[in-house]
Amino acid sequence: MDPSSRAAASTASSGRPRDALRPLSDFPVGLRVLVVDDDPTCLKILDKMLRKCLYDVTTCSRAVVALAMLREKKGEFDLVLSDVYMPDMDGFKLLEHIGLEMDLPVIMMSADDGKDVVMKGVTHGACDYLIKPVRMEALKNIWQHVVRKRRNELKELEHSGSAEENDRQRRLLEEGDNASSVNEGSWKNAKRRRGGKEEEEEEVEEREDPSTLKKPRVVWSVDLHQQFVAAVKQLGIEKAVPKKILELMNVPGLTRENVASHLQKYRLYLRRVNGPQHQGRLDTPYTGSSEATFHSVGSFDGFDLQSLAAGQLSPQNLMALHSVPGRVTNTSIGMSSVDQIGFFNSSVEISNASNMRPPLMQQIDKKQMNFISGPPTSMESRQLGQSQQLVQSYGSMGLQTSEGASGLFNLPSSQRASTTFPGGSINANLSNSLVMQMTHQGPQFSLSQQQNQIHISMPQLPQTRGPIQNGIAGEHDSRLSTTIAQILPNDISSDVLGSSGSNMNVDTSLPGGYMNASSYGSVSHALYADFPNSCMNESTGSCYPLARSAGATSLTSTGMLQDVMPPVGNVEALGSSAGLKGAKDSVPNYDLFSELHQSKSQDWKLQNINVSYHSAQQLGSKQSNIAFGCPSLAHQDSIATIKDGSCRNTCTVRKEIFSVRTEIGHEKGECIAQRNSTILLENSVRVKAEGMSDHSCQDLLFDDNIIPDELMDAVGKKHQEGVVQVDPELSFDGYSSGNSVARWLPPNDATSYGLLQ
Amino acid sequence: MEYSNLRHRAADMRKSLFDQGYLDEQFYQLEELQDEVSPNFVEEVVTLFFRDSARLISNIEQTLDKCPQDFVKLDAYVHQLKDSSSSIGASRVKNACTLCREYCDEKNLEGCLKLFHKLKREHAVLRQKLGSYFQLLRQVGPMEIATRPSM
Repeated sequence: MDPSSRAAASTASSGRPRDALRPLSDFPVGLRVLVVDDDPTCLKILDKMLRKCLYDVTTCSRAVVALAMLREKKGEFDLVLSDVYMPDMDGFKLLEHIGLEMDLPVIMMSADDGKDVVMKGVTHGACDYLIKPVRMEALKNIWQHVVRKRRNELKELEHSGSAEENDRQRRLLEEGDNASSVNEGSWKNAKRRRGGKEEEEEEVEEREDPSTLKKPRVVWSVDLHQQFVAAVKQLGIEKAVPKKILELMNVPGLTRENVASHLQKYRLYLRRVNGPQHQGRLDTPYTGSSEATFHSVGSFDGFDLQSLAAGQLSPQNLMALHSVPGRVTNTSIGMSSVDQIGFFNSSVEISNASNMRPPLMQQIDKKQMNFISGPPTSMESRQLGQSQQLVQSYGSMGLQTSEGASGLFNLPSSQRASTTFPGGSINANLSNSLVMQMTHQGPQFSLSQQQNQIHISMPQLPQTRGPIQNGIAGEHDSRLSTTIAQILPNDISSDVLGSSGSNMNVDTSLPGGYMNASSYGSVSHALYADFPNSCMNESTGSCYPLARSAGATSLTSTGMLQDVMPPVGNVEALGSSAGLKGAKDSVPNYDLFSELHQSKSQDWKLQNINVSYHSAQQLGSKQSNIAFGCPSLAHQDSIATIKDGSCRNTCTVRKEIFSVRTEIGHEKGECIAQRNSTILLENSVRVKAEGMSDHSCQDLLFDDNIIPDELMDAVGKKHQEGVVQVDPELSFDGYSSGNSVARWLPPNDATSYGLLQ
Repeated sequence: MEYSNLRHRAADMRKSLFDQGYLDEQFYQLEELQDEVSPNFVEEVVTLFFRDSARLISNIEQTLDKCPQDFVKLDAYVHQLKDSSSSIGASRVKNACTLCREYCDEKNLEGCLKLFHKLKREHAVLRQKLGSYFQLLRQVGPMEIATRPSM
């Protein structure tokens, strides 16, 4: 890990510099907690205690405000701690609201330890009940609830889901969003989101023709892609024909056409990957390690696979990945994931982008990895390329920030292409640091899709992994976390999160659940499955499937269950560095991301960026506006509107926070995936208007890749928006954090939706 | 040595606060939270507590004056006070609150009043004692209070 990059990585909200080498065990670190208590003394004490636990704390003394905050920044929190007796609203009522709308784990507290009160807490759905005075020891373990919840969610998803990834993803996406939107009454967002999602999905299929997103699309989740890659490998790339691939994959509901178009993209990707052949940073370790499987990706230069995993793929990492086309796979990198990622990347705009597409998300799936090592070298290199792509895609994915969520991988200036990573949110941190980190770490991408598959593509390094993991892991959804947790070796996750340090707040030290959610690089929510898919496919680039907080963050931050992933995946403007540059100025203070990136001009951490690219798709233009609502403190929910100069797609990436987000404490690298449904839309619009003031989005534009550009824009915007400091007491209606902060305007005010110029 | 004397005095004072039951375990927690980031954490919290609790106490008094039969309201206030005091470890105040609440539940106004006065007294005493304690601490400077007095 590059120390400087690490340093650059913004620290988690707690302000601690992320240590990329932090072990996975750091998972609870960065857990994003919202504390609601009317008693100022208690509040202060709790705040301090939680900070001591290295959690990311937001305090609030009024329930009403807290609720507003939660609604506004969905996906920015992993856990809620609430007092029972409060003057303005009964604690149990608040509990109900939260359960209904946001489905966050809630812990009740009270000095009252009467059995009936405790029972009431249980019946209302509280995860736990703490008796006051609360002790540190009790607080240390609250992360378990986040993990548990995420796991349950993931399990649910698995069980209920059809084979179709997109269904699941969609469900995930919609679950949270819809609920909230319904409750919120902001149909607009919900619709948008849904629409966006669908569009995004369509994109998958129609990559070649982004503008025609009409057909129901298959969402090429990470899992699916991996299956695809496996099938292709088995057949041999030369001989792989759609029909046979389809048979091998044996996925119900998948048509030959789906496979065919995907294969086409894949081929392009491979070509691209193998083209440059420059072994940039990728070091050797790449193949060497037995762990190498993870490494292979990891060795990407500067490519923090971890970040990838976390969803945050720093551009550098991407580059690194990219640069090493050949490297690929010696180490049995979980290419599958990488492939997917890479592939996705390619599908996404990557084509334009430089080939550097570091495999962001290399999902390290042990099995896959082996598989990868199996296949012929050519495949390997291809894979590498893929991974790169993936990475890139992730970058663009703008993974959900939230904590853990996938962050957008910001492809290094050259790259851009970070396309959204399907299924997982890759927190691609543009920040160079990330990239660097990534490389060191070996690509660890944990693409955690909503499903349990959290592949952590972790290449190598256990140590580097840290950052990525965090970011990604944390992300919201436990979904991711769980998967990631499974897959990721601990170190990875930590790395992922940690490393991203700059970007990936992968460690949103979310307890348990972090992993995916929070820990994913802080953006816990990271990877939203939806996000990746949608984004990735978006050729128009704007859709970054922000890893939706939960699932997406697959940033596999390795197992890091970080509930609170700090906004993982700093959604770094995936765009080209150039784009980023613009953004740099306004580096948002996204919790995870911003912290990371602050140092780096390039750090666009899009923390919790909820990017809903739906609009983007519609436009068919390249612009994807990712509205990042990045709460500076909080996690992420930043909606980054990535505006691509050329296209005006506004993608609001919603960040599903918290669940997967940032599990790993510090990194909030949330991938933009956060879904902030309501807010996103609005914000995206808003962001544009507001944020852009600081720097034109143009700057953010990616060079050629649409997506990255867009992401960049988004990131840039994000900065503006993201800088919204989460002020517990303040409803987030107007973040006034300075100029750069994009204000969250009420949804109705759909000003130039997404097109701030 | 002046300094050493002061230190001893502060340590003794602290110990006696614990011994006499003015403070309990929770206070240790507060002390542990104090670190270089927030070097005066304990004092800040305590100050905050007293400010807030003074407000509560005056609210209770007003309620007792105007609508003493409003036990629900009284109970709510006392409950809040109990929450606060327990969070800083003000154990005597907390106990008084608990008893007062019981009377409120029974709708025993007289008992309530009695306990309330007791509560007020304890509150005042604690305030004064902690005040001098912190003052002494300030003179002493950063002191290691890590060790818990053996009780």
